[in-house]
Amino acid sequence: MLYVKELYKSYEAGKNKYEVLKGIDFHVAKGEFVAVMGPSGSGKTTLLNCISCYIPFDKGNIRLGGMELAGMKEDALARVRNTKIGFVFQDFMLLDGLTVRENILVPRIVQGEVEEEAEKLADQLAAMFGISHILNKYPAEISGGEKQRAAVARSLINSPLIILADEPTGNLDSKSSRAVIETFNNAKEQMDATIFMVTHDSFAASFCDRVILMKDGVIYRQLEKGEDRSLFQDQLLEAIKEMSAQ
Amino acid sequence: MNQIKNMKQMEEKLHRADRKQSRLYLFCNFMALMIISAYSALMLSPTVQRVFPKGGDSRKQMYMIFVMTLVGCVVFTIYALGLFFRHKSGQLGILMALGASRRRLAPGLFREVITLSGVSAIAGTAAGFPLVWMIWHGFRLLLVDSSDMILTFDFRCLFISLLFLLLVVGAACLTAWRYLKRTNIMEVIREEHINEPVKELGRWCGPVGMLLILSGAVLGYGAPLACTAWFCVYRVPEWVSVLYAPVFVGLYMVMLHTVVHGWKSHRKNPYKHIISRSMMKFQGKQTVNNLLVITLLIAGGCFAVFYLPTNGISAMFRYASQPYDYFYKYQADQDVPDKETVEALGRKYALTFQDWKECDYVTLGIGGDHDVSEEDGIHFHTEYTPMLSEAKVLSEDAYRTLTGQEVDVVPGTYLHLENQEESSLYTNESAREFTNMVTREQLDVQFAGYLHYDLLVEDIVCCVLDNEDYARISEGLTDDWRGHYVEFNVDGRDSYQFANAFYHLFVSSFDETCERPGYYDRVQKIRENEAGVEYWADTDDFVIISYELADSFMFRSFWVYQPNFRILDQNDYLRNMSVMFMMFFFIFIVCMITALVVCYTRCQSIALNNRYIFDDLQKLGALPAFLDQEVRSQCSNVFKVPSLVGMSAMFLLFAMILYANDGRILRTEWAAMGICLGIMVLFGGVIYAVYRASVKTIKRQLGV
Repeated sequence: MLYVKELYKSYEAGKNKYEVLKGIDFHVAKGEFVAVMGPSGSGKTTLLNCISCYIPFDKGNIRLGGMELAGMKEDALARVRNTKIGFVFQDFMLLDGLTVRENILVPRIVQGEVEEEAEKLADQLAAMFGISHILNKYPAEISGGEKQRAAVARSLINSPLIILADEPTGNLDSKSSRAVIETFNNAKEQMDATIFMVTHDSFAASFCDRVILMKDGVIYRQLEKGEDRSLFQDQLLEAIKEMSAQ
Repeated sequence: MNQIKNMKQMEEKLHRADRKQSRLYLFCNFMALMIISAYSALMLSPTVQRVFPKGGDSRKQMYMIFVMTLVGCVVFTIYALGLFFRHKSGQLGILMALGASRRRLAPGLFREVITLSGVSAIAGTAAGFPLVWMIWHGFRLLLVDSSDMILTFDFRCLFISLLFLLLVVGAACLTAWRYLKRTNIMEVIREEHINEPVKELGRWCGPVGMLLILSGAVLGYGAPLACTAWFCVYRVPEWVSVLYAPVFVGLYMVMLHTVVHGWKSHRKNPYKHIISRSMMKFQGKQTVNNLLVITLLIAGGCFAVFYLPTNGISAMFRYASQPYDYFYKYQADQDVPDKETVEALGRKYALTFQDWKECDYVTLGIGGDHDVSEEDGIHFHTEYTPMLSEAKVLSEDAYRTLTGQEVDVVPGTYLHLENQEESSLYTNESAREFTNMVTREQLDVQFAGYLHYDLLVEDIVCCVLDNEDYARISEGLTDDWRGHYVEFNVDGRDSYQFANAFYHLFVSSFDETCERPGYYDRVQKIRENEAGVEYWADTDDFVIISYELADSFMFRSFWVYQPNFRILDQNDYLRNMSVMFMMFFFIFIVCMITALVVCYTRCQSIALNNRYIFDDLQKLGALPAFLDQEVRSQCSNVFKVPSLVGMSAMFLLFAMILYANDGRILRTEWAAMGICLGIMVLFGGVIYAVYRASVKTIKRQLGV
């Protein structure tokens, strides 16, 4: 589904050049729920932004559903973002002037006319994520957890190949965090969605099938979940501790 | 609730929701266009063009301040546009992130910015004319009215507004295009929170900036004088104005110091106002630019308004100190009302006269040194020319009769008339001979000193000769080279009606040979025509003198035989100068409105940009009093420093110009400076009121 090969990305600040990604290699299979963890500055968010084509990368390859993203023209990239990728931001990024239902439908609106089928799908997603009662409300009128669930619904409205989520629980309390993670799990189980999530939260990561640990722009280690989620969380914490010690 | 179905409907809904954020942009565009169209409408109106002499200093000042206002308007329009897009960027970024392509976003975005900028600009342009009309007629109704002040428009001024409108719409479209072209979507999304810290300099930059302002002002003003005096440069090249550059560098450094360090020492309490100081610092680039523009606008406004007292006070003082109520002169070949006629007219107004004095004078050619341009057109040398210009010449007896002063002129010498303060612009100490312009007889003379009688001092030099010398040189002169001085007082209280009637009778008694301005020099004309050169004043239309416009500013300011009637001059001074005064007053108002709008906009942007900081502070438990202080501290820097710097810099510049005129400051100039100080205090009050209102609005917006 997603193949990332030898990915490099650097930033320039004044005369200094900072290498953030130093040859990243990994892949994500269809229907897989993968998390990326690592300390601040390890390059997690930059990696996510490169995959989502929000920022250009220096060199390497990103293949999504068989399409090579490097070198794509702006219009084609926009199409990829609209139809192949669903994105969930840490701070929700809902449009304040639109209702929750309209926000969920924005990726369809961007495509063209909104058909009845899309409206039905929006309602189904809302029902699936427990936000049907707020569909006609505006973002300012709902809680953070509800906003994020609306954002997840939005990310799924075009049935993308992959959902990219940048710290989706970062701004939420534990109850809302759990609700959002369950939303992802529902999407994975009921819609066979592929999810790639950046997180600091080992609890959220413990729901994933696999966790990629990053440090200083390279992949430090990958861990796969067994049967027991709680055990997986302990393994993650141990691995993070070990990585921090080095 | 209607479900939105497509991009257009979504954009329309988002625009409606963003109305609040568009308001500032609309307001700034509207104000800018209103100010530009009002200023250009008045500046280019036939009313003003007729009164401001072509190539004159006042006209140059008017244009210079217009350019400054234009720059101010450009800055605050572009700034408001930037603010608008900073808010818009979040929305644009989200749509881009969700897969809206450039092509998909462009129509809606361009439609929005063109509509917003176009409508506000057109409305502003249209509002400019009623604004001028209202202010001008308000002046006429409340302050002064004259025939000069009938306001007409030349609608070609719309060309300037149109250019500015295109700039506004063009800048909006260009910014939209730049946003759409950006490939880093995360940057677009986070744009609103990106800071623009300014490059810091040490605490020395403020004091050094002040020094630079001072030295730039002295260098810029002094350099042309020094070029002329030391290097005999005839026409000082325009690049010398570059020497004013340190003023602008200095201003920048002072503003930078204000933004980065502030003017108070924070050693004792380094945490005082730390929030507002850091907020200013992290939006430093925009803040410094804004403070600079505000300073320049306030300086421009002061420059315009200082014109009024400087001119008004000296004129009023001159009229008050005039030794006779009525003083006039005329060419001997004119049929001017004689004493009996004037007395008869006086009786109609129940007036009797006393101290009636009159005497003859002649107009001769006077030799003298003058500057002659070298072939390079840059340098000059001083050359003596025998028939340099006209001189009005009196005999010892005539002078004694007219002034009551004892005088004894040594034969072969001449005494030169000067005013009491010896500040006259036109003097000639180098004459070696006088020439009878009819017989071309010459009388060799030498300068022997000054006499003082203000009424005889005008643009043409006036001299006194020994009686015998006078008789010899004036022999054979025709009446057009002879003239008559008359002066008298009113016995008791004077009447404006009489003065007005007499003035019009006086003017109507002259024929067309005297329908010329005071600077028209017949001796120079003869000399140049004899040398085969056309006299410049024959083809120049600097001013137009017409008896039909005897009450106009031009006529009363420039007619060669314009009389001095104290009560008429005192009463009509404001009327005669009305267009000049009102234009400069208008410029002052426009500059100040522009400056205050920039201040207000800047304070608004503080509220909009830093809302989240104030929210965080509130969450951290900051007391309302603390937040109030931080808001005040931010706003006061925006208002206080530019006002202080702009006003005091212009006051000092004015003082320097007054001093540099003749190496001293005269009594009238001290008085004018006092009035300027008063105006500054008054305006300071207005600025303070707007500051208070801005703080109140911002506090309401921030929920403090």
